[in-house]
Amino acid sequence: MTIYSFWIFDRHCDCIYHKDYKRPYRQLRSKLDFPAGAIDEKKQTTGGPPTGKGPLSVDDDAKLVFGVVFSLRNIVTKLAGEKESFFVFRTSKYKLHFYETQTNLRFVMITDLKVDGIRPILEQIHAGLYVDYVIKNPLSPVEHKNGVGVNNELFNLGLDRFLRPLSIFE
Amino acid sequence: MVVYSLYILNKAAGLIYQRDFNEGLKRLSSNDYLVLSGTFHAVYAIASQISPVPSSSGIEVLETETFRLQCFQTLTGTKFLLISEPRQQNTDAILRRIYELYADYVIKNPFYQIEMPVRCELFDRHLATYIRGIP
Repeated sequence: MTIYSFWIFDRHCDCIYHKDYKRPYRQLRSKLDFPAGAIDEKKQTTGGPPTGKGPLSVDDDAKLVFGVVFSLRNIVTKLAGEKESFFVFRTSKYKLHFYETQTNLRFVMITDLKVDGIRPILEQIHAGLYVDYVIKNPLSPVEHKNGVGVNNELFNLGLDRFLRPLSIFE
Repeated sequence: MVVYSLYILNKAAGLIYQRDFNEGLKRLSSNDYLVLSGTFHAVYAIASQISPVPSSSGIEVLETETFRLQCFQTLTGTKFLLISEPRQQNTDAILRRIYELYADYVIKNPFYQIEMPVRCELFDRHLATYIRGIP
């Protein structure tokens, strides 16, 4: 079982936190305005503007991931009512887990197919880590504008320490 | 077990068949159904793009608290979407069977124009009988 990546999007639809744990394919270009250390492995850096076939930047990937969860959530609310949301979708190669808090903070985790029912883990990341280290931090801004994101050492470390011992992390 | 509805999308994201079998989900206007199928078609394509591993398909199963959406794409690009209760078993087998019915009573119908909305009485009838018989 593997976790591929983890994303947090705020209520303004911006990606405020991103971490890649494993990426066997489709390396992304690193993006400078993400906090140092948030991008785990060395990404191949290519100069120049993104071309059609070149590697996507982390920013572009974030837009795609957000686009998918946002559109799917819209489909679900249309069919089942305002309060409904989906918790997972599966393709032939990966699973995407989704959790949205009352404050429209969206947690997304991409894992392989064997991982099941990790909603409690996402809830714990929100309640235990995000609230404790980011919300309760008096120096942390309420809104994360301009792509700065959650640039918080404690949250980084706490998330790492929380995820690595789990059985879904291998 | 309950199957809520079936959608068939052609390869250009057009909705060519839509049918509700049981109550449970909201009724939408026909325009909303078109928007929904268009959106799903796009999201399906993007989902295979954001895959961290090579050669992933698009969305196969979407799970929510109230329903479960299973998608089956044929080799020709037609998509079958089945919306059922979350606990419904074997939805992929159900979709394959519906695909067989589609091949038999829609594609083999000499008056059916390919990629156009499905209006075949035989298909309707056999589909209804099959869905009613699902345990």
